[in-house]
Formats: sequence, C-alpha cells, structure tokens
Amino acid sequence: MRRTSLGELEELVLLIIGVIKDDAYGVNITQALERETGRTVDFSTVHTTLKRLEEKGFLRSVMSGATAERGGRRKRIFSITAYGYKALRESQEIRMRLWSLIPLKFKPSGV
Amino acid sequence: MKHERDLYAPPKWAQSLLRWRCPKESLEEVEGDLQELYLYWVDTVGVAEARKRYVLNAIRLQRPFHSKNSRTSSINHKDMFQHYIMVAFRNLVRSRSFSLINISGLAFGLACSLLIFLWARDEQSVDRFHTNNKLLYRVYLRQVYDGQAHADYHTPAPLPAELKKMIPEIEYATGFVKFFRLSLQDDIYESFSVDDKVYKLKGSRAEEDFFSMFSYKLLYGTPQTALSRPESLCMSRKMAELFFGSVEAAVGKTVRFDGRTDVTVTAVFENLPPQASDQFDYLMNWDAWVAENPFKQSWGHFGTLSFIQLRPDADPVKVEEKIKDFLKTYLKGMSDNLRLELGLQPFGDQYLYGDFENGLPAGGRILYVNLFMGVGIFILLIACINFMNLATARSVKRAKEVGVRKVVGSSRLHLIYQFIGEAMLLTLMAVLLSLALAALSLPAFNDLTAKQMAIPLREPLFYLFMLGLVLLTGFIAGSYPALFLSSLQPVKVLKGHFRFSFSAAAFRKGLVVFQFVLSMLLLISTLVVTRQTNYLQYKNLGYDRENVLYIPIEGNLITKYALFREEASKIPGIKMVDRSSQFPHAMSFRVDAVQWPGRDPNKVINFAVSSVGYDFVKLMNLDIVNGRDVDRYNRTDSVGFLVNEEAVRQMGVKDPIGMEISVFGKQGRIVGVLKDYHTNTLHQAIDPVVLDVKEFLNFGTVLVRTEKGKLKEALAGLEKVYKQMNPGHAFNFTFMDEQYGKLYKSEQVASKLSYVFTLLAIVISCLGLLGLSMFAAEQWKKEIGIRKILGATLRHIMARFSGDFVRLVLLSIVIAVPPAWLAMNQWLQNFAYRIDLAWWIFVLAGIIALVVSLLTVSTQAVKAALENPVKNLRSE
Repeated sequence: MRRTSLGELEELVLLIIGVIKDDAYGVNITQALERETGRTVDFSTVHTTLKRLEEKGFLRSVMSGATAERGGRRKRIFSITAYGYKALRESQEIRMRLWSLIPLKFKPSGV
Repeated sequence: MKHERDLYAPPKWAQSLLRWRCPKESLEEVEGDLQELYLYWVDTVGVAEARKRYVLNAIRLQRPFHSKNSRTSSINHKDMFQHYIMVAFRNLVRSRSFSLINISGLAFGLACSLLIFLWARDEQSVDRFHTNNKLLYRVYLRQVYDGQAHADYHTPAPLPAELKKMIPEIEYATGFVKFFRLSLQDDIYESFSVDDKVYKLKGSRAEEDFFSMFSYKLLYGTPQTALSRPESLCMSRKMAELFFGSVEAAVGKTVRFDGRTDVTVTAVFENLPPQASDQFDYLMNWDAWVAENPFKQSWGHFGTLSFIQLRPDADPVKVEEKIKDFLKTYLKGMSDNLRLELGLQPFGDQYLYGDFENGLPAGGRILYVNLFMGVGIFILLIACINFMNLATARSVKRAKEVGVRKVVGSSRLHLIYQFIGEAMLLTLMAVLLSLALAALSLPAFNDLTAKQMAIPLREPLFYLFMLGLVLLTGFIAGSYPALFLSSLQPVKVLKGHFRFSFSAAAFRKGLVVFQFVLSMLLLISTLVVTRQTNYLQYKNLGYDRENVLYIPIEGNLITKYALFREEASKIPGIKMVDRSSQFPHAMSFRVDAVQWPGRDPNKVINFAVSSVGYDFVKLMNLDIVNGRDVDRYNRTDSVGFLVNEEAVRQMGVKDPIGMEISVFGKQGRIVGVLKDYHTNTLHQAIDPVVLDVKEFLNFGTVLVRTEKGKLKEALAGLEKVYKQMNPGHAFNFTFMDEQYGKLYKSEQVASKLSYVFTLLAIVISCLGLLGLSMFAAEQWKKEIGIRKILGATLRHIMARFSGDFVRLVLLSIVIAVPPAWLAMNQWLQNFAYRIDLAWWIFVLAGIIALVVSLLTVSTQAVKAALENPVKNLRSE
C-alpha cells in the first residue's frame, strides 16, 4: 500500500532539491527550507522525509563529498528521479487546474 | 574557560545515542549532517542553543518502532503469514498419507490422554465437592497390639456426639451407618411402602448435624430439623418422585418403613452427585436406630462411621492429638495389650487413600489414578515423539524449500517461526480431531469406568489446558525440524548434497527406541494385570461360588427361617438352602472371641467367626480334612464347631478333633477341620475360621444353591414363597459369583483400561514406525533398484530393509524389561495371592512388539521391493 501522492512537506523538500540541483544533502536542504519558507524546520523531520521519499522512489542518493567540518564523514547526496519529477509535475498540474477553476473575483490581482 | 575545541563537539551522550539507535546505513550521513548543522548553529544561535538543538534532533531521530533492522521489519507480516499457512496446507495435501498418519496418530494419543485426565480429575473430585471440604474429617480407629497397628473407619456409635460435646474445636459431628452388621458388610437396602407401592432403596442413618456439614441441597426442609425427630425421614428427589410423583407431593407425607413403623418425610434432598462415594436415597434418625439396636450403644462396638467438622480456626493436628486417647475414658477394663487410638483423615481423602498401613492412612485408589496419569503422559509422549519423528523425517523433502527461502533472504528466525507454526497448525488440527474422538468414545469410556463424565466445555481452564497442549506439543514437535532445517547451508542443499548427519539419524533412532520402550512397558503391565485379574476371577477358592444366591434375612424371615428353608428346598431347581451370618466370599468380621485350653491370654488372635446352618459345608462344597461335618440329626452337634486348617495352626494344637473351645462364651467341641478356603479377597491371607451352628440368629443371609441351568424356575418359585412369607419386603437377591467379582472392581477397571490404552499405545507407535518406514522406503528407492538389478531377491531386500528397525525394537525390549519387572513386582505385592512373574510374559511381550513392528515395516519393504527398478532409477 504505497502512497504515491505527495504530502506538503514532501513536495517542498522535492522542490528544494530541484532548486539546489547538485549537491543537495541534509544540511543545505534544511537550511534552504528554513530560508525559503521562513519557518523553523527540524533536521530530524527533513531526514525522515528524505528517507521516505527515497523509499517511495522519488529520490535517489549517493554517498560522497566528505569534508573536514563533518569529521571526515561522507554526505548523502540526493537527486530527483524521473518518477519524482513526474509526481511533482502531477501535483503542480492539479493545483493549476484547480486554480483555473476558482472564480475570478477571488483571484488575487496579478495572477 | 572551556577549550575551543570543546565548543565544536556536540554532547557526547547524544552522539552515543545516535550511534546506538540509528540504522547503520544512514548513520554516517546523519552524524555528518548533524555535526555540520551544529557548527552552523554555534555560529548563528550560540553554543547553548546549538547543544540543545543537537540533543533534540538526536532524540527525535529515535523512532520507537524504528529498529536497527528496519529493512527486514518492513516485510508485510500479514502476507507472509498467509503464505506460511498456504505452504503448510500444500505440504499437507502433497503428502496425504504422511499427514494422515501424523495427525491421526497425535489425535489418538491426545484423545486417549484427554480421557485419562478426565477420569483422573473425576477421581480426584470424589467427596471433595462439599463447601466445607477443608473442615470435614473422618475419624478412624487404630488398634495397636503385639507391636502391630491396624486401622479402619469403624468407630463406636456414641463417639461423634461425645466428641462434639468434649472437644470445643469440633463444630459439628455426625455418625453414619455404612452397613448394619460388621459381619455382613452389605450396602443397606430397606423396604418402604406407601399404600401398595413397595420399593427397596439404598439408604442410611445419620445424626442431626449431617445436612449442616455436607453440601447436599435440601429441596424441602432445613438442615437443622431434617433429622431431628425419631420418625424423621429425608428422601432424595428420586425417592420422592418414585413414591409421590413429585418433590412437592412428598412434603410431610407418611411412609411405612420395613412393614412395621410409620415415618414422616421431613426433608427432600437433591439426588446425590455421582462424586459422592456414599450414595443414599434416604436418611433416617440416628438415635432411634441406636435405641433399636442396644448393642450399638456400647463403646466397645465398632460398627459405624464418624464424621466431624472443625471450626475454621482449629488446627487439625492439635485436634488429632487431643482425641488420640479419647476412647480410654470410655473403655474401662480393656486389656493392656490392646491400645485403641483415634485419628483424623480429611473427609475427601478416604476415596483415594482408603488403605491403612501400620495404622495410618496410606495408598488406595490413588495408586491407579497415578498409574493411569502416568500412562496418559506416556501415550502423549509417544504420540508427540511420533509427530516429531515424522516431521523430522519429512523435513528432508523440505530442505530445498529451505534453501530457496534462505537464498531469497529469509532469516533463520523466520524459518524457525515457520516450522514451529506449521507444527502448531497440525497440532491444532489433531487437537480438534482428538476432541471429536474423545467426545465419541466418552459414552463407552463412561460405561467402562462406571462414571458420568463429560468434556468440560464450560470451563475456561479446559480451553487453557487445550491451548497449552497445542502450544507445547507444537513447540516440542516443531522444534527439532525447525532448528535443524534452519541451520542448513543453502548452497549445499540446493546443490543436492543434503544428508542427515549421523547425529540427526541417531536422534531419530533414539526417539523410536524411547517410544517402543514406553509401549513395551505398557504391554508388559497389561499382560501382568490381565493375568492377575484372571487369576482373581478364576482361582479355585476352595468352595464353589457358582449357582449360589444370597437373600437377606429380614422381616418375617428372621422368625420363620426354618419354614422358609423347608418350603424353598422343595422348589424344583433348588438343591439346597442354608444360612450364614457372614458372606462366605468376603468374611470381614474378625474378632478375638475364641478361647481354648492352653491359650496365651496376653496374645490377641482374631478369628473370622461365622454362624451357619447345618448344610453350610455341603452347600459350599468345602473339603473336610479331619473329623466330620456337623449333622442336623446329631443332638450334640448344636454345640459343635468347625474350624479351618489356619485356625488349627493359630491355636497351635496337635489334635483339634474333640477339643473343647468357647466362642463368644458358647461352649462346645470341634467336630471337624475344613481345608483352607479363601475367606476374603485375594489381597488378604486366609483368616482362621470358626464356624458355629446357629439357625436362629436374627440376621445374616440365606444361601440358596440352585441346580445348574435351572435358575429361572428356581427364582420364580423362590419369589412366590418369599412374597407369601414376607409381604412387607421386596424380594431381592444377589449372586455369589457376582459379589465376588465386585471385590475386584478397581482391578477389573484397571485391567480393561490398560488393555485399551496399551492397544492404542502400540497402534500409535506402529503408526510412527509405518511413517518412518515409508520415508525410508522412499529414501532407499534407488538403492533397492540397483540391488534388484544386480540380482537381489525379495527376501534379501526385506532383510536389509527391516534389519534396521528390528534392531531398534530389540534394543527397546532389552531396555524396557527391567523397569517393567520392578514395577509389576511392586504392584503384585498388593495381593497375598498372586501370579508369578514368569519369564515368558516378557518374551511374549517382546514377540508381540517385534511381530507387530515387523509387519508394519515389511508392508513398506515389500512395496518398495516389488516396484519396477527401471522406473525408480530413471527418474532424476
């Protein structure tokens, strides 16, 4: 029973990874999320979300890029899979379609 | 001031927490990420906040259900479980005969032990169902003389009331009458009549406290008043319905008792449960009965039972100590050589521990209960071993499955679960089948044991027991294949290099041997028990017990015995009529009341004294070894005595004929010496007997010898004569040989039960052997094929094939014989007269086991040997 739809945080994390593109890993994903959304994001939450997304097949990861400040430990670098892109796209399409159905008067100006 | 480097290090304990709980595969990156973040936090929010965040994150990364092996635990359990069940059923169906043997063997064993445990439970519950069970005691009497102690339950009639009066710890006390005469220990059946309805029913006498002590439910009346008046009659529901149609109709009614007095129904009680060892349909007032039988008032007459109930705070040990010498005060002028002591036994113990040894309660029926519990456990073990053995043998076929499972990634634990679970599933099926079997055979089993047992479906404990049985059996049976198979190396198995190691084969052989040892033990025991029971049944007792009837002397028969004898003797089909004060087959009245010249006055010698008619010796077909029989027409013979050889030995006289003796003060001479005949059960040695001619005694039994094959006419004639002479009494009679047989009720039940159970044990063992040989035949298919091609004959193959099994059975025979001999020797010590433990019994048992097992194995051997070798060799 796999959930194929994306949760809100999952979607945000996926998008952030798309934005960072190369070298997306736990730390910079957490920091970017905090920066972009303006809310405090817990690392542990991000970590579990990443694992879940990988299990679902939206992400893949490789280990690389050990640095001194990490005590010589490698990073797990995440990148979006084709399936992940597809899911993001679908979710975006659903939103777009729904936006287009909202009556004009409610639409914020400029959209 | 802290060192700068310390600032960069997050809290140690949080780090160790991470390392301890975090999944291995993501530990590295998590630790790294957190380290990086920590440094970032130190820069942005300060050390304290950074440390706090680090700890919080480390803790939040802990997931309670997120174990280190999170990968494997993510397997879907439900699907796996379904899969296991499906595989189990496929295996069941694929090897149908194996499964059938396996399940039915276990089911037989389980059913068998279930019945035995039911029986044992029922035995244990006898007399223990009373609410006050823990406070109820029986008083027993110990006689100590000549350094020996003998004990029984017979106490003086005034004892219970006096005990209650004198000992404050005793709350209630009652006497109970088990039989009227010590010399005629027969259940009490008395006649009651209402109008023209006459019934003879079983009953007794008891004192006022009786219903306050025992939990017999009163449907009408109160425990206090039920037995308080001389004319009180308490009857069972059965008796009330017999006479009046209903309990309500019986209330307060008058019933004619014994054709002579009227009694009033003062209470009606519910029919007694089958677990009451003393069964009665009515109870009457104690004092009235004692008043009617003056000799019962004496403290020196030990003829009734005494039951007491202690206060809840009383210490039974102290009470027993207190009453030990209670009788001393009441029995003046007793000989110094004879000490009489009282003892207490818990009321419920009498049924199972009713035998006395050295004046103390010892064993009794408990021997048989324990024995059969043992048998039940044996049979269960045999069945379990079977199950285990077959499962182990069959597991070879599953080796490839295990290999594949392991390659695909099953862990050892999963395999163990799977096999144990499968065994439990089979056990569950067997348990259900065994319940059905037990339920089906329960009526027959009840018949055999004379009980009314039911499967206790309403008791939660029963289900718990069955569940425990499933789990335990499943676990034991499944454990070996589970542990063994799960340890296999997949590479070897899948390449086909699979063999049972030597130890595994030895283990299986060991189980077979163990199983056959148990079967052999049962078989030998059965042979011995059956032979001993037959011996008891058919031994020449020294008298002829066939075609003899007992008719109680009561009512008009007491005064008109002579007339009855005369009339009855004329009836066609009747050879002879005589009387006796004791049942000749079970002379239980032994008393030190015989005097002769030269007797040591200090020694206690008990004689079985019986008063008989003139034709007793002829009627019983006794042999006279010395002197002559008493003669009705010889006047001096009314003071003539007959003694047996044992009596002569005990008296220690050379020439007994003509010797003057006195019995109960009656003077006379010995006219003849009888050859020893058995005076009681063969458990006991022959007692010294003194027969005394007294045709006028007001109690006893009439003996009627009928002509062989003319019983019907004799009975018809007897009934007519009896009805004429004794209209207030129902005509009832018993057969001497039947009564004799009843003495060995427990032995007979034991013999029948052991017969059935041994048969089952052997069948179960053979089922196991059959399964194993089927398995072996399959394993050896190729070998047999090659041998046949090379010219082996059927005989060769059979010998090769059966040899292994025969060796095992022979070994078990050798192992089983010594313990069997010991156990049976012990059992036979219970009998004063017993069979020899002849060597051929053991040989016979061995041959039976060997032949049966050989037959079982050879069916498979023949089948394997007759198969076309080409077929077996071609297939790969």
